Amino acid sequence: MTECDEVRTMLLSGRALDAGSASHLAACPRCSAEQAAVRALAAYAVPAPPSPAGVLAAAAPLLALRARRAGWRALGRAVAAALVPLPLVLLVDVYLVRAAYGMLQALLPRVLSFYVVFNYAATLTLLLAVTYAMVPIVAERQLRLRREESRA
Amino acid sequence: MATDEELIGAVADGDGRALEQLCRRYERGLHQFIFRHTGGRDVDDLYQETWLRVVRAAGRFDRRRRFSTWLFQIAVNLCRDWHRRPPPEPVDPAGIEDATRDGTARGDAALDARRLLAALPEAQRSVVILRYYHDLDEDAVAEILGCPRGTVKSRLHHAMARLAELARP
Repeated sequence: MTECDEVRTMLLSGRALDAGSASHLAACPRCSAEQAAVRALAAYAVPAPPSPAGVLAAAAPLLALRARRAGWRALGRAVAAALVPLPLVLLVDVYLVRAAYGMLQALLPRVLSFYVVFNYAATLTLLLAVTYAMVPIVAERQLRLRREESRA
Repeated sequence: MATDEELIGAVADGDGRALEQLCRRYERGLHQFIFRHTGGRDVDDLYQETWLRVVRAAGRFDRRRRFSTWLFQIAVNLCRDWHRRPPPEPVDPAGIEDATRDGTARGDAALDARRLLAALPEAQRSVVILRYYHDLDEDAVAEILGCPRGTVKSRLHHAMARLAELARP
């Protein structure tokens, strides 16, 4: 910053000039010429800003829209992340069910083996369905907690 | 305490409290800038519109940039649009010159800061307000106005020369 700039900024911000700036103001023809204008500009009074309540009220619909979009985005990300390992989980489950059925057939009658394995497969399917149904709920809860943390 | 960039990220997710915090941090500076730029007309509308644009564009904010620079860029663009709107600003710089040379009209009216600033072209006024009232360095002013630093220096030089001429007793 040049000395002229410093003097202008001090005058405009209403700060008292130090000895160096005062002597610069007296000696510098440019600053002396500008002094009246700068002092006039320094006297420019500005009223207090309006309360943020008005801004917040006007922005409320936009914020609500953004919050909804953010919620859907977070949900989409969570569901997508949960769906990625699903084929592998299904593959492993099918392999386990088939292996269990093959093993049971050697020990039990065929109908009984089928009954046991069917129950096992039904339980696995139910657990998987419950797990995936929980994904959006957990994602929404995490989003809410994150918002509360950021507010805190 | 959350940074401005974190807060604008929260605003992008629809957080009203983050917007309130940002408003409180910048209300004085932003309001003063708009007030001085427009000479006190339509200030509340422009002030509110600036924040609404912030909310609308929050998702596109580049977090590597400074929030304050971005905020003032929005305000500068709004003020520019406002100045372009009809009816044109009813300021006659010649009137100021006449008044300053007329012995009876000397004093506060002749050195009225609002009229002095209004007599400057919009580009020079923005530079003077940002550089001296807001104490931003030339690089920050150049970034806000989207022009080279040399242009900022030249506009400042011409603006101060013009102001000195207008305020000469």
